[in-house]
Amino acid sequence: MRPIGVLCLVAGWAVAVGGLFITSATTGRTLIACLGIGISLFGSLGILNGYYLERAIWKK
Amino acid sequence: MQQKIWTRGVLLIALGAIGLFAGAAPVRALSADEAISGLTAPNTQEMTDKGDPGAEKYGSANDVTMTDAKKGITLGDLANQAGQNKVAINFVWTLIAGFLVMFMQAGFALVETGLIRAKNANHTMMMNFMVYGLGLFAYWVCGFAIQMGGSAPIANLGGAYPLNHEFAVNLFGKPWGLFGTKGFFLSGATYDVAVMVLFLFQMVFMDTATTIVTGANAERWKYSAFAVSTIFLGALTYPLFGNWAWGCGWLSQLGANFGLGHGYCDFAGSGVVHAVGGLTALAVAMQLGPRIGKYNRNGSPNAIPGHDLVFVLTGCFILAFGWFGFNPGSTLGASGNGCLRIGSIAVNTMLAGCTGSFSALLYMWIRYGKPDASMAGNGLLAGLVAITAPSGFVNTLAACIIGWVAGILVCLSVEFFDRVAKVDDPVGAISVHGTNGLWGVLSVGLFADGRSNYGGSWNGVPGSVTGLFYGDAGQLVAQLIGIATLVGIIFTLSFLFNWIVDVVVGQRVGAKAELAGLDIPEMGALCYPDFQLKASDYNVGANISAPAIAKH
Repeated sequence: MRPIGVLCLVAGWAVAVGGLFITSATTGRTLIACLGIGISLFGSLGILNGYYLERAIWKK
Repeated sequence: MQQKIWTRGVLLIALGAIGLFAGAAPVRALSADEAISGLTAPNTQEMTDKGDPGAEKYGSANDVTMTDAKKGITLGDLANQAGQNKVAINFVWTLIAGFLVMFMQAGFALVETGLIRAKNANHTMMMNFMVYGLGLFAYWVCGFAIQMGGSAPIANLGGAYPLNHEFAVNLFGKPWGLFGTKGFFLSGATYDVAVMVLFLFQMVFMDTATTIVTGANAERWKYSAFAVSTIFLGALTYPLFGNWAWGCGWLSQLGANFGLGHGYCDFAGSGVVHAVGGLTALAVAMQLGPRIGKYNRNGSPNAIPGHDLVFVLTGCFILAFGWFGFNPGSTLGASGNGCLRIGSIAVNTMLAGCTGSFSALLYMWIRYGKPDASMAGNGLLAGLVAITAPSGFVNTLAACIIGWVAGILVCLSVEFFDRVAKVDDPVGAISVHGTNGLWGVLSVGLFADGRSNYGGSWNGVPGSVTGLFYGDAGQLVAQLIGIATLVGIIFTLSFLFNWIVDVVVGQRVGAKAELAGLDIPEMGALCYPDFQLKASDYNVGANISAPAIAKH
């Protein structure tokens, strides 16, 4: 799960920056950047943190 | 008709006056090396005999350095003296601001140590103490060069010209600055007075970022792992983002390359310092896992109170004091290029901290029925963190709003990490610095009022930084790209490196050491040898199984 989380993090950044090339409209760039941030946050707090929570010491 | 006659009359009188002045005092241009006649200076013999108690004679023509004493003071001498005075004022300002920021280490040490249990006080204090040395060493070796090696010219410091090479790649027809290449070990041409001033100021900022991580991971972080992790943060992660934002890197050029406002703008480091530190703290805290006793076996959290609220609130005051170096000092000068805005920046800093502590206190009072001291302190810090990026670009009303939101946000964020994400952060550093660092970055894109003017341009784009509420939506996009980079790249780098540290060194102390307190197992000495310390303050059956402790 950790490599998937890391990929998700980087992919979110790539989406946000890629938006600069996909459209020149400010609204479009704003929405794409927000989408990218959302993907990265899911990668960190969703996937990576979920992986560590499953193995948390208080669950053992 | 009458108005025309009046107008002509006034014009004639004005022209006559100009003619009279021109006839009475013909002006002749002086060449730069020509002595200026008619200069009077106080009699030095008189000053020797009587002194100058009224401070009326010191600072005169006597104090202007002459290139040729026989010739006297020339126009060139005056111009050079004025230039040196400007740079001297800016050097002194930047250095004093740097000294204030350095003192913030004491504030962080007190806040973090106060918020943890007495049995770990030596360990936490020593982490805060050693980030200074470890971070400084790493930054001197390579961090500063990576961050600022291509940032020249820096006008307020006289140029700092040796820092003149940025490594950049060309992608899609645009240059993407990635890292600087001048200033490793501060050797060669970077043995330069302006570079030294810049190094000191940037170094204490980096140190602030490294010390954020120690708070979130207190009471369970192996000291050796902390040392390696800190060196990596000071040598690479922090300088990389610092370069992209402040060292002429690609984020700062989003305005010039993509027409996004003035590019990523972060006046004093909500993103560069606080979000980098806060996100690194999150990356490490996730890997370390919560302290034993923090969560019950059903996942419900337990409050683990710190041991000294006096430490905490005194530390907060020290930090608030140091922040007057952090934000106003980031002009890198007090003279020229709009630097007189330091007054406005200082007031914004003060206001945001105040409204942050007030809103956090109010939130806790309404929600839990009591005004919580530690969260009031964290609210103050959250407001200060959030105003750090926009402090140079916003007015006082915006500063109050930014601080107020930060105070609420820090409470919500602490609750989120505590109850939903179940990431154990003993001091709330992830929420104070990470969450509010990102909020500070975003707020530039919303509240920058377009009234600041630092030499006519920012990040190479003419005009003033202007946010969405004042008409420039492009600035908001630049700030969002900065946030995406912090979360997507900087967090990832921190996570990957600390993962390697976990595999090689091991990040977490053993359960027995954790239960006993880290002062003896990790540091070899108690912080409070005369205190009666509680070795464990949890219920084995409810919090954790006995076999899990044995295995851990």
